[in-house]
Amino acid sequence: MTKPQAAPLLVAALTLTGLTGLTACTGADTTGAAVEVSRGSCGVGWKAPHGGQQTVSVHNVGPVTMEVELVDPGTHGVYAEIESLAPGTTRPVSLVLVRGSYAFTCLPEDSDAETGPAVTVKDGPAVGASPVAPVSEVDLGPAVATYRKQVGAGLATLAGDVTALRTALASGDRARSQAAWLVAQTGYSRLGAAYDTFGDAADAIDGLPAPGTGDFTGLRRIERGLWHGEPLPALGKVAGRLATDVAGLRKDFDRERTDPNDLPLRAHEILENTLQVELTGDADQGAGAGLAIMSANLDGTTMVLEAIAPEIQQRYSRWGAVTGELGALKSLVDAQHRNGRWTPVAALSRTGHERLDGALGQLLEDLAPIAAIGEVRRTQ
Amino acid sequence: MNSSRRGFLRGLGVGAAGIAGGAAITAALDRPSHAAAAPRPSFHGVHQAGILTPAQPQATHVAFDVLATKRADLEDLFRTITERARFLTAGGTPPSVGIAGPPPDSGVLGPDVPADNLTVTLGVGASLFDQRFGLAAHKPGALTAMPAFPDDHLDPARTHGDVMVQLCADHRDTVVHALRDIARHTRGGMQIRWRADGFIAPPRPSGTPRNLMGFKDGTSNLHPDVAAEMDQHVWLTGNDLPAWAGGGTYQVVRVIRMLVEFWDRVSLLEQERMFGRRRDTGAPLDGDHETDVPKFAEDPVGEAIPLTSHIRRANPRTAESEPSRILRRPYNYDNGVDAVGDLDMGLVFVCFQRDPDKQFAEIQRRLAGEPLADYVQPVGGGYFLVLPGVRDATDHFGSGLLSLT
Repeated sequence: MTKPQAAPLLVAALTLTGLTGLTACTGADTTGAAVEVSRGSCGVGWKAPHGGQQTVSVHNVGPVTMEVELVDPGTHGVYAEIESLAPGTTRPVSLVLVRGSYAFTCLPEDSDAETGPAVTVKDGPAVGASPVAPVSEVDLGPAVATYRKQVGAGLATLAGDVTALRTALASGDRARSQAAWLVAQTGYSRLGAAYDTFGDAADAIDGLPAPGTGDFTGLRRIERGLWHGEPLPALGKVAGRLATDVAGLRKDFDRERTDPNDLPLRAHEILENTLQVELTGDADQGAGAGLAIMSANLDGTTMVLEAIAPEIQQRYSRWGAVTGELGALKSLVDAQHRNGRWTPVAALSRTGHERLDGALGQLLEDLAPIAAIGEVRRTQ
Repeated sequence: MNSSRRGFLRGLGVGAAGIAGGAAITAALDRPSHAAAAPRPSFHGVHQAGILTPAQPQATHVAFDVLATKRADLEDLFRTITERARFLTAGGTPPSVGIAGPPPDSGVLGPDVPADNLTVTLGVGASLFDQRFGLAAHKPGALTAMPAFPDDHLDPARTHGDVMVQLCADHRDTVVHALRDIARHTRGGMQIRWRADGFIAPPRPSGTPRNLMGFKDGTSNLHPDVAAEMDQHVWLTGNDLPAWAGGGTYQVVRVIRMLVEFWDRVSLLEQERMFGRRRDTGAPLDGDHETDVPKFAEDPVGEAIPLTSHIRRANPRTAESEPSRILRRPYNYDNGVDAVGDLDMGLVFVCFQRDPDKQFAEIQRRLAGEPLADYVQPVGGGYFLVLPGVRDATDHFGSGLLSLT
């Protein structure tokens, strides 16, 4: 069930501003703690730390650029970070501090991490920022392996679906070809390709008409022809090229490495794309299959979430809400598949459209922190 | 720390109608200098801000459809809007979440959000009172869907809505920031149905601001500083039905396109006779100054001010017409181009009253067929019940309504 609520941290913070007035208004409490960092001396000079909304200025007095994190010295969970703090520069860290211990960890380029002296906050609100255990590349290794195995299998299925599409086109049966197209299109959409997942191959397989020229090839091009009376033999040629492009992608995918950072990013990016081009109807080339593709994109997001769950689930308090919202949205979308037909986006009632828009919007808000939490960080 | 300051403001707010309104009457004639001197609108109070508050120069009126399907979810939604409004209208530093997520604030107003005289005013439409939330039996009798009047050209996509959020502030970026913030925090709870952005021109050169037909608009408005007028024409009290709406008021929003190209091809004499006022000074056609009161009784056949003129039909200044007076709080809008290259601009007409049918609609019935109707096209809007004010830091919008069984 989607709830009209902010992410938990926001809610917590709101409670603070609203009920205790601890963080609202003029920032009178955020005055001036300042620390210095350099190699061999990390986060020195934080005197009389206080809780509540705080800003600590971090000044790099050393000769090397470093990454600086505000951490819980007990668990090494990270509250906040400054990336690439150059020599001589000062950057603020702002946070709602609760009672507890804090320290700075410095990660200079090309040398080991070092954690400075711990300070203790003895006042402050009950709820505030919470530390996140950093995720390393090693941590995400199993997730990447799981994800790659699934995508590899999905690409094999897609190759078969494209073969079936070519056979259908060759048979001269338009209805059968349209059905085979939908299987192939959703098979591809289920892989959760968004942005740079599959690089140039994505444009060849699933690209939309190019700006200016209107040229395109692949699944969407075949869709255009199938729903606009184009002779099937001509589309057969496009499908032949599609088969080649899919085979090329399979080969490339086997050879290429998957950046572990991609997975937490995909958690919301797949569906950002769905909102932009499917739920708006912009990508539709005539089939009216936007909701079928959306359903497949939800599957693709689930695949990513299942892969990263072992690492992210315990780091993100709204994980349960996310999976609940994802399931609810999937049901909402699939309810538009009746008697073997998907409701075209353009035929949705106003209320039906708003429900999908709102549920997807809320899910995206709740997926977005996963990219931040799951970003690969140095741990030593 | 901040509590004393908030308490001070709150205290001011409760008794503030007079103070704020006192500024309003002069502000109406001499904005923005007097408006700048008005006290900051208070979020907490018996009434919501943004009604008697001297109209800030920038506004948006946003109608939402509620997606929540249960009473508890509707309450969550109203609590969230309350919390966001409380923060946004006070201003302050948005909390940082460190690495736990993207920044919670859009940053549009910089790291410290200024209050900028922002007001967030929440109303509910008749459509909220259906079976979804078990509120059908509690729908106030005076709250209906906005009817289509004879000269209307209503576009369903720009009409009605479960909820109306009026955001007004001194600057455009503050309005935009507030809208993004509220929408972001309520994604799953409600969706924007339509919106109308507005602005108020500065006095040109003095007096009431002009509309986009070039005429001063709002000269004979009710006086927000006169409590008796507000009680008589604007505020619902606990003695009205339903009692939970006491402290609220009814809001009518009308998006009225002005056919400005057509209008600009009309002679000045004809324009002035349609309005009943001089275009340059705003004076009624039987007077010399904007503030001169038109003497309709002395001109029964409409020799000076035609009987069909807008000001005469809208407010005939008779004992019979007195109960239909309204508190107007309109904005100009300027919104792109139509299919033939003509400009889409006009008026976001906003008014407040105790009963939309007996006041706003009564005026509409008098205006039906006025010559001005050929140059304006009402294209959207809605009727809304502006909820009672949020009393204090523990209260929330709709607390009275949502506690009904």
